[in-house]
Amino acid sequence: MIRRLVPLTALLALGAAACGGGAPATTPGSETEGAAPSGPIVIGALHPLTGGLAVDGQQMADAAQLAVDEINEAGGIESLDGAKLELASADTTGAAEVAQSEAQRLIQDGAVALVGPYQSAVASQVAAVAERNSIPFVIDVATADSILNQGYTYTFRMQPNASGMGTVGAQYLADLAESSGTPIDKVGYMHEQTEFGTTVMEAFKAEAESLGMVVDPVISYDAFQASDLTTEVTRIKEAGVDALAVTGYYRDGLLIANNVAAVQPGVQAVIGIANGAYDLPQFPTDAGEKAEGYLDANYHPDVTQDGYQELAEKFKAAYGADIRTPAVLSYEAVRLIAAGLEEAGSVDRADLREAISGLTFETIMAGNGPVEFDEKGENTNAVPILMQVQSGTVKQVYPADFAEAEPAFPAAK
Amino acid sequence: MADLATVAEPAAGTPRRRLVPSVPLLVTVGLVGVAVVVALIRTGSPATVRQAVLTGLLLGGVYGLVALGLTLIFGVLDIVNFAHGALLTVAMYVTYTLSDRFGIDPYVSLLVAVPLLFLLGAALQRGLIDRTLGQPLENQLLLTLGIALLLENALLLSYGGVPKTVNPSYDEPVRVLSAVADLSRILAFLGALAIAGLLYVLLQRTRLGTAIRAVAANPRGAQLVGVDVRFIFMLTFAIGTACAGAAGVLVVPFVTVEPTIGELFNIVAFVVVVLGGLGSVPGAVLGGLVIGLTEQLGGIIFPSQSPLLSVFFVFVLVLFLRPQGIFGRRQ
Repeated sequence: MIRRLVPLTALLALGAAACGGGAPATTPGSETEGAAPSGPIVIGALHPLTGGLAVDGQQMADAAQLAVDEINEAGGIESLDGAKLELASADTTGAAEVAQSEAQRLIQDGAVALVGPYQSAVASQVAAVAERNSIPFVIDVATADSILNQGYTYTFRMQPNASGMGTVGAQYLADLAESSGTPIDKVGYMHEQTEFGTTVMEAFKAEAESLGMVVDPVISYDAFQASDLTTEVTRIKEAGVDALAVTGYYRDGLLIANNVAAVQPGVQAVIGIANGAYDLPQFPTDAGEKAEGYLDANYHPDVTQDGYQELAEKFKAAYGADIRTPAVLSYEAVRLIAAGLEEAGSVDRADLREAISGLTFETIMAGNGPVEFDEKGENTNAVPILMQVQSGTVKQVYPADFAEAEPAFPAAK
Repeated sequence: MADLATVAEPAAGTPRRRLVPSVPLLVTVGLVGVAVVVALIRTGSPATVRQAVLTGLLLGGVYGLVALGLTLIFGVLDIVNFAHGALLTVAMYVTYTLSDRFGIDPYVSLLVAVPLLFLLGAALQRGLIDRTLGQPLENQLLLTLGIALLLENALLLSYGGVPKTVNPSYDEPVRVLSAVADLSRILAFLGALAIAGLLYVLLQRTRLGTAIRAVAANPRGAQLVGVDVRFIFMLTFAIGTACAGAAGVLVVPFVTVEPTIGELFNIVAFVVVVLGGLGSVPGAVLGGLVIGLTEQLGGIIFPSQSPLLSVFFVFVLVLFLRPQGIFGRRQ
C-alpha cells in the first residue's frame, strides 16, 4: 500500500500544481490603445483572493474597487473627458505562476496598468511580465528589495522596501532605549523564513550592530507550518536578551504573542519590524491583555489625517470590516494610477508610465512627504512609523510628528 | 487490501500480541534519546530542550489524533482522504460559531461538533465516495481533493478569510517540570489519548470492531460471513471524520481559525499515518508523538530550517529502512 501511496501523493501534488497554474481562457484581440478611450479605462488588480492570504487579498481588492468607485463618482478622469475607470480583479491564489498568467490575461484584455500583489515572490513575476509588455505596475504591498533591483522601468512601489523597514526599525528601538534610559544591548530576533523576513532581519541586524547592539539569537520559522513556537521563545529567554524583535505575518505574530505570554522571556519590549500583526486593530482584540505594550515599526496610514478617517468609515460601511493597512495601500495605488492618467491625458501605457514616474502624489500614508519615485521606482519619501498597543488600541507613538500618544517604554514581557 | 497491522489482526487462535512490536519501539525511544542529547549539546540549555520535549509531546498527541481518523479510513476503505484537513476545519468553524453566537464553551461543543461531523462523514461516504469504490485510486484521490477544495472555499465564502479566535478565559499557561504549556494544549493531548483509547477498545473488544477489522482484512470474506460491507464502509468513514471533528474542536483554543488551517495538520498527519503503520491505532498515536518530537528537537538541532525538514528527513529514512512503518508489521 505504501508503494502505491507515495508515487500517488507525488502525482497528486503535481496535479494540484498543474490545475492551479491553468490559465483561464483569454479573450483574443485586445482593445486598441490610443489617446481617447472608447469605453472605461481598465485597471488590472492582482491579489490572493483565495488561499491562506485571502484575508488581506480580499480587502485589497475591495479597497481598490472603492477607490475606482470614488473616482468615477467624482467625475472620472477629467483630462480624458471624464472617462470612467473599471477595475478588473484577478485571483493570484498566492501563487506566482497563476499571477503571471492572470497578469498576461489582464494585459490582453486591455488593462492600462496593474496593481498588486501582496507577496514579494509574486511581485517579482508580475514585474517581469509588466516590463515585457510595457505596462505600468504599481506595487501596493511587496517588500523584497530584489524586485526593483532588476533595472525595471515600469514597476513602482509606494511602501518602503524590506531593508528600509529593518534599518529604520533598529533606529527607532535605539531612540526609545536612549530617551527612556533603558539600556537595550542585546536583541533576540524571530522572523519568518522567506525573503521578506530574512531581508528585514538582515537590515535590522546591520543597523542595530552599527548602533552598538548585539543581535543574537536569530531564529527563523515557517509561518505557514508553525503551530507552536514555545520552544523558540524559550531559546530567546535562555539567551537573556533585552528586547525581542519579530518579523512575520498575522497568524504567526499572534502565536508568538501567546507563546511569549506563557514563557515570559523577561524582555524590556517586544517590537515588530514590518510585522503583519502588531499594528492591526484586530491584534489587541484577538490577543487581549497579552497584546498590551507591543510595538511595531511598519509602513502605516497616518491615522491623524482626516482623509484616512473618512476612508476607514467608508470602508467599514461598504464591507463591514475594519480596513487593514495593505488595503489602504491598494486604495492609494489605484488613486496614484488615476493621478497618473490625469497627468498623462492619455491611456497609452508608455505615456502613463512617464506621468507616474514624474508624479508628486499626496498620500494618506505616513511618510516624509508626498510619494515621489526615484529611477528604480522606489518611493523616496516612504518611511515606517512606530505603533504601540496601549489600553487595547493601536496608537501611533513615534516619531513625534505622527504620535497620537507617548511611547510606553520599557514594556516588559 | 490494506496492510492492516492492528485492525486486521486475527481475533482468535493466535497468541495475544503486544500493541506495537517492541524492538522498533525500543529503537525509536533510543533515537529520541539521542536526539535529546544532541539538542542539549547544540543549545547548552536544558530549559530549551525540556520545553522542546514538552511542546513536541503535546503537539504530537494532536498530530496522532488527526492521523487516527486518516489511518482508520485508509485501513478499511483503502482511500487516501485528502478532505480530512478540510473536515477538521469545518469542526473548528462549528466550534467558533457556537462560541461566538451562543457563548458555548469550546469543550462543550464537542457534543455538537463530533456527532455533526460523524453525520457529515456518513453522508459524504454514501453520497460521493461510495460511488468511486472499486474505481482507479486516482478517481478517489481527486474526489477527496475536490471535496477539500469545496469545503475550504465554502468556508471562505461564508465566513471570509479573517482569522477567528476562540479564547476560553481559563486557558492559562501551566508549568510542567519547569517547562510551560497552555492548559488548552494539555487538554488537547489528554483528549487525543482518550479518543485513541476508546477507538482501540471499539476495534478490539466489540462485535462492531470485529466486523470493521474483518472488512479491512478481506471485504469479500466478510461479506460471505454476513457482514454488511457497505454499511461498515460508511460507518468507518463516519468514525474517521468524527475523529477529525474531535481534533478540530480540541485545537480551536490555541490556533487561529481560517479556511485553510487544516493544511497545517494534514501534511503531517499523512506522514504520521505512514510512519505509524497503516491502519494501526497505537501506531498513529506513537507516530504522532515521534513526529511532534522530531519537529521540535529538529528545530533546535537544525535552527533556521523549516520544522518539516527534519520531519521529512525521518520520513524518507523510515521509507527506506522500514517501509511498512515504524510500528507496522510486515505483510
